[in-house]
Amino acid sequence: MAPARDLRPTPTDGYPTATSFLQQDIEDTLLAHLPQCLASPDPTATQNVPAVLQRNNHMQYLLRNLRQGFPQRYTGQDASQAWLMYWILQAFSCLGVGMDGETKRRAREKLLAMQNESGGFGGGPGQASHLLATYAAVSALAVVGEPGPGGGWDDIDRKKMYDFFMSVKQPDGSFLVCHHGEVDVRGLYCLLAVATLLNLLTQELLEGVPEFIASCQTYEGGFGNASFPDWAFSNGYDPTTPRPVLGEAHGGYTFCALASWLFLQPYIRIRYQSTAAGISAGVNHVPPTINVRTLLRWLTNMQGTGIELGGFKGRTNKLVDGCYSWWVGGCFSLVDGLLGGASTATREPSNETATHAGNPPASTEDSEWHDIDDAIFNREALQEYILFAGQHPAGGLRDKPPKHPDSYHTLYCLAGLSAAQHRVVPDHSRRDDLLRSWNADTARGTAVVTASAGEQERLDNLRQESFLDALCWLEDEGADKFVGGSANRVNATQPLFNLTVTHTELIMAHFYQQRLPSRLPKTTSKSS
Amino acid sequence: MSAESEDVPLYAERPEWSDVVPVPQYQGVDALAPINYSAEYQDATDYFRGIIRMGETSPRVLKLTRDIINMNPAHYSAWQYRYKTLIAIGADLTEELRQMDDFALTNMKTYQVWHHRRLLLTALRSRDAAAGELAFTARVLAADAKNYHTWSYRQWLLAHFNDEERLWAGERAWVEDLLEKDVRNNSAWHHRFFVVWSSGVREGDEDREAVGRRELAFAKEKIALAPNNPSAWNYLRGVLEHTKTPLSALTTFVQLYTVSSPSIAPEVMDLDNPVPTEGAQLPCVNALEFQADIYEQEGGTQITKAVEIWKSLANEYDTMRKKYWEYRIKEGLQTTHT
Ligand SMILES: [Zn+2]
Repeated sequence: MAPARDLRPTPTDGYPTATSFLQQDIEDTLLAHLPQCLASPDPTATQNVPAVLQRNNHMQYLLRNLRQGFPQRYTGQDASQAWLMYWILQAFSCLGVGMDGETKRRAREKLLAMQNESGGFGGGPGQASHLLATYAAVSALAVVGEPGPGGGWDDIDRKKMYDFFMSVKQPDGSFLVCHHGEVDVRGLYCLLAVATLLNLLTQELLEGVPEFIASCQTYEGGFGNASFPDWAFSNGYDPTTPRPVLGEAHGGYTFCALASWLFLQPYIRIRYQSTAAGISAGVNHVPPTINVRTLLRWLTNMQGTGIELGGFKGRTNKLVDGCYSWWVGGCFSLVDGLLGGASTATREPSNETATHAGNPPASTEDSEWHDIDDAIFNREALQEYILFAGQHPAGGLRDKPPKHPDSYHTLYCLAGLSAAQHRVVPDHSRRDDLLRSWNADTARGTAVVTASAGEQERLDNLRQESFLDALCWLEDEGADKFVGGSANRVNATQPLFNLTVTHTELIMAHFYQQRLPSRLPKTTSKSS
Repeated sequence: MSAESEDVPLYAERPEWSDVVPVPQYQGVDALAPINYSAEYQDATDYFRGIIRMGETSPRVLKLTRDIINMNPAHYSAWQYRYKTLIAIGADLTEELRQMDDFALTNMKTYQVWHHRRLLLTALRSRDAAAGELAFTARVLAADAKNYHTWSYRQWLLAHFNDEERLWAGERAWVEDLLEKDVRNNSAWHHRFFVVWSSGVREGDEDREAVGRRELAFAKEKIALAPNNPSAWNYLRGVLEHTKTPLSALTTFVQLYTVSSPSIAPEVMDLDNPVPTEGAQLPCVNALEFQADIYEQEGGTQITKAVEIWKSLANEYDTMRKKYWEYRIKEGLQTTHT
């Protein structure tokens, strides 16, 4: 018999404050959204829970957004038009809704109108290039684009985009989101995602970035939005001077910092291996680190309790919100990838075999990790939050009841649902397959930045490792979990990009000019 | 819209703007996901695109960009162009700052509002202005105590101007006051960490051991007030980690919070180990977790005691995080066995 559901209110210790009053209000509201039979203390009543993903409602909502557009009160989103497109199109991908050729063509046209001649995309046509808009536009093009004339992908001016990226780079390894704009890790994530998708990564672009990310972790374990550069960088770089993080640990920034950290792993491996070999003497030799232990603690603590229906919050002592289903819920796969990822096993084969003598190579440690079960957060509870509280009865998904839905929350609730239903993890044999079919010449041939002769090998290596690290993530279909049954299934999401695995593969295969080996579904982990 | 918009003519109707060729937004024929702009917004942004094309920086650009951000405070290109114009025409930046006060108060959730102030302060290079901004952000935080951008801007101000007497000096007392008002305000806790630990050494704080003792005492006192407050526990952990103090230094304190009712003789006042408030709901999850971490850190046979606590967290006190506690059990056992 299942234990009765724990619906105890958050303790206030007889000492209420503004925070606890808000918290109590939301607990009342959320409890009212838990179906009666689940709130009942009788555990036998939990059969036949009416947990239904209102697919059709959401699809209609998104279609209205796409076809009819937005009313005047959306003027505040005029600088987020690339985002609106991405949110809608990727939400369709989650729901498994395909689009006809004409709709895709119109989408490409709309998106390409936001590209600037000087490189990068703006938030709308005629708006200045911005890292966030560039990510949104390129990701949306990953969904609706294809190679060849009129397909959109070859209309992206990658050389100029790279120049734009370099033009906003700062001495401390951070990037301005636009000229005269602010620095924050969202912009950094957007840049790294795009540069990885489009084959724009170089040592020059990434120099100092790992150190910057590490400086954004707070004492709580999550990441804040930026760090203060001037003390450490007033006169060259002084690593002993503080680089305080500005802003507390926050779900959105934590996702961006962690995903960035994963994008950077190939660079970190190559960069610090080289310094160890004495290639670039005179720079700091110690690779920067992040504290994964406190990070994991902070991430798990962001999941609300039973009375909060297991939704995620974005900061300590704040309220749960549907969008953190992805920003925080999506982090668990990334932590998985960091701790047991394919790259760690292949990186130091000698160390691996030394510590695990006698074990079969490569994937042993990885599969041990996966045996822990499936994830370190409560996947069922997160699905319940989204299904019971996240769905607006009229279609679309939202922060929390009684709020209205919007495109942003519709995507991030669906992506969070996907992260809770599926497990997408780095797969060693997939990585090996990709490596076997890797063609360094074609990848170099389609890159827009060339290296000097002496740097050629390292750049080739960076390109290859980034490609393999990004594309070795596969869905472990044996680990699926669908609250409310498989009719609620949404598509699996590639944890680094928030695109489907297929869209990620197609666009990267194009921009690295690789022929991808076919993949078989991975269903091994439940067998042990 | 208000009566105001009916009275004010469109840019297209104003003779003083007749030299600018408006540029409509190009988005292809029959665009998807269009926004149904008001005539005023469309008109102003058409002229803005026209101005960009001309590259003009002049006082009238300030008026135009102000109109646009009034209708859409997130129009970062208008902010960007406004800033360029202010600098190009040598505008009075202090005046700009004051003009933006009310705007910031009504649009405090917008990134650009705060970033604009940061640009202005950087250009002004004035500690007077920085001190004024501390007062201004205090006003905003009084209305919205957890506004992320405001907090992060305030931290930038302190670091950038880095004036011990005029800026840093009052900071700890100020944030203590905010914690007095709401001990669960995590932004304020983070700010305290920023001031005391992350940003070098404050004047009077040179004796780091004394500072460590003071901060631990502060956190413990706040935990006693409301034990189920993760912000205070996180701060406590942060201080221990930062000062490389073993968790076991707090064993006596933590054990007051791991039991349902502490058996303390009330006449014995132990200032190092403040007792839970009367209304405290015990045992509290953060204390149990802390106790288990102490056992794990001690290692050896103590690990069984840690496992026992983790099990109770998984099955009774913190069931939402069952998977996490099971992971901790597995990790803890693995570490001791190798
Ligand atoms: Zn949200």
